[in-house]
Amino acid sequence: MARRLWITALIVPPLAFVALFVVYPIISAFAYAFFQWHGLARGEFVGFANFYRVLFTQPYADWTVNAFTHNVLVFFALMVLQNGVGFLLAYCLWRELPGAAFHRIAVFLPVVLSTIIVGFLWKLFLHPLFGVVNISLRGTGLGGLAQPWLGQDTTALWALIIANAWHMVGFPTLVFLAGMQRIPGEILDAVRMETESEWVKISKVVWPLVAPSATVVFTLLFVGSFNWFELPYIMAGVDGSPHKATDVLGLYFYRTAFGDQSGSGQDFGAGSALAVLIFLFIAIVAGFITFRLRAREIQI
Amino acid sequence: MARMTLSGIKKSFKSVDVLHGIDLEISDREFVVFVGPSGCGKSTLLRLIAGLDTISSGEFHIDDRRMNEVAPSRRGIAMVFQSYALYPHMDVYENMAFGARLMGLEKDEVEKRIDEASRMLRLDPLLKRKPRELSGGQRQRVAIGRALVRKPKVLLLDEPLSNLDAALRSDVRLEIARLHREIGGTTIYVTHDQVEAMTLADRIVVMNNGKVEQFGSPRELYERPANTFVATFIGSPRMSLLNVERDGSNLALAGSGSVNVSRLPQSGERELVIGVRPDAMAVSTDENAKGFKGSVVYTEYLGENTYVYVRLGDGTLVGIRSSASVDLPPDTPVVIAVASEEIHYFSRATRERLAA
Repeated sequence: MARRLWITALIVPPLAFVALFVVYPIISAFAYAFFQWHGLARGEFVGFANFYRVLFTQPYADWTVNAFTHNVLVFFALMVLQNGVGFLLAYCLWRELPGAAFHRIAVFLPVVLSTIIVGFLWKLFLHPLFGVVNISLRGTGLGGLAQPWLGQDTTALWALIIANAWHMVGFPTLVFLAGMQRIPGEILDAVRMETESEWVKISKVVWPLVAPSATVVFTLLFVGSFNWFELPYIMAGVDGSPHKATDVLGLYFYRTAFGDQSGSGQDFGAGSALAVLIFLFIAIVAGFITFRLRAREIQI
Repeated sequence: MARMTLSGIKKSFKSVDVLHGIDLEISDREFVVFVGPSGCGKSTLLRLIAGLDTISSGEFHIDDRRMNEVAPSRRGIAMVFQSYALYPHMDVYENMAFGARLMGLEKDEVEKRIDEASRMLRLDPLLKRKPRELSGGQRQRVAIGRALVRKPKVLLLDEPLSNLDAALRSDVRLEIARLHREIGGTTIYVTHDQVEAMTLADRIVVMNNGKVEQFGSPRELYERPANTFVATFIGSPRMSLLNVERDGSNLALAGSGSVNVSRLPQSGERELVIGVRPDAMAVSTDENAKGFKGSVVYTEYLGENTYVYVRLGDGTLVGIRSSASVDLPPDTPVVIAVASEEIHYFSRATRERLAA
């Protein structure tokens, strides 16, 4: 009896917390999406009108497509720059190349930094006049390549992607490294008896055996890419400047629901509709990814 | 053809020396077993031969070709690992085909070799299974099959029976002996089990503390052990060693009297170690019998024989094989007779064999 009370006492507070601050806002966002809003005052029930508006009427439709396209680009770019590089780093750390002990920490260190810090840090790095990137380019005689990275359409989104990859690359590295360390040493010896090629070792043996780690990393990257908000908010602002070149669904939703830089254009109904669409898209696709990749996992 | 020459092979891990200069000459088609207690360096030596670890100093040749710097996959060597090390994500067929394809063989040739190996090892019904769906013995056969499809000049086996249950062990042992004859290459087999070593080997390398104690046929090792280590390592129950002093044609053991022997070492040393196997001694309860005096500690009844363990006057415990009818309670005073033709003599100082 005492044990049951004890368990109840441990479970109820976090459950209440989650219900109040996670479940309730999600459900209420669902509900808000079906009403018309005048500022923060709820108007009449409008059915799917808000959804129709953000998907099919201008200017929302163009903005939605623009932001969604950027998220897709971010996802694939980070898949290569963050997960791909993370896998290679993990392989180098696992094979204990010289300096592995130092790099194991160095690679993971940025992950523990807050996104706010990383955002401001990279804004400084990329400053057109005083930033370390342009100064280094000029210093090495590559001054012709120096440019306002965050200030032009062609480079701004990529600058954010690289900042994010730098920040988070330690996470897939850590997960892949853990996956590799589960591979028995004799299996690696067995491959070495059959080939010298690192490529064959990686592609035919190591990669298939770390697939369980890949499931987690892929799913989290997918969710992260489509929920991307803090870094673009800090580095590019709520308007996704310049000219919405860095606009992503997170910023777009926030701007629509709560107003842009100038505080205008606030529309709670359309914002909620966007939030619901983002949520459903992520939940369905992430569920599908997890399900499909799980089926291919291998027991060592 | 695969004649292997190891000369002055040393291996150190950082400041720890694991192998202190190994010299071996292994002939073509020979079945050689490395045996020794754990930590003696036998697996390390096998890994050096395979090329999985680098040789610190010394030279290793296969058929007069220096192998020190040659990659493991190019030495013409295949290895069967203790844990089998099958690729968990490939089925049995793929496990065997993987290495064969990497050798650049034609598709037909790969298939032919897998057919051959799976017939030899009775793997046909298992080809589509994944390693986790196989029993220990089946995994073992796949691991051997994977090695065979590469048609290696040299086959290395690292404690291949240690993960199998006792009943399966003797079957697989016979299987390995048969395979060695059929494929006609050189085989090196590592084990800590002297029974495996004795039954399989053409020649045995007995290792201890990173050195070779003796290299010879099972018969040589059993009948003419080179030193006290080999003497006690080979043979079960183990040979008893007694510290005796020579006194004319008598051997005296402190506190147990002396025995007269017909055969003594040619060298004149007074302080000797004699080695006597359990079946070269006899127990007698007759106080006037000739031999070393002692008292019974315990007896082991094994059905066909009884082993009697006796504490001698200087505290040494010796095991004697007796007929099954013998049943002596502890503390019975007994006399141990020694068959002097079967005594092995060793120097007390060097522990090396003395010729008699």
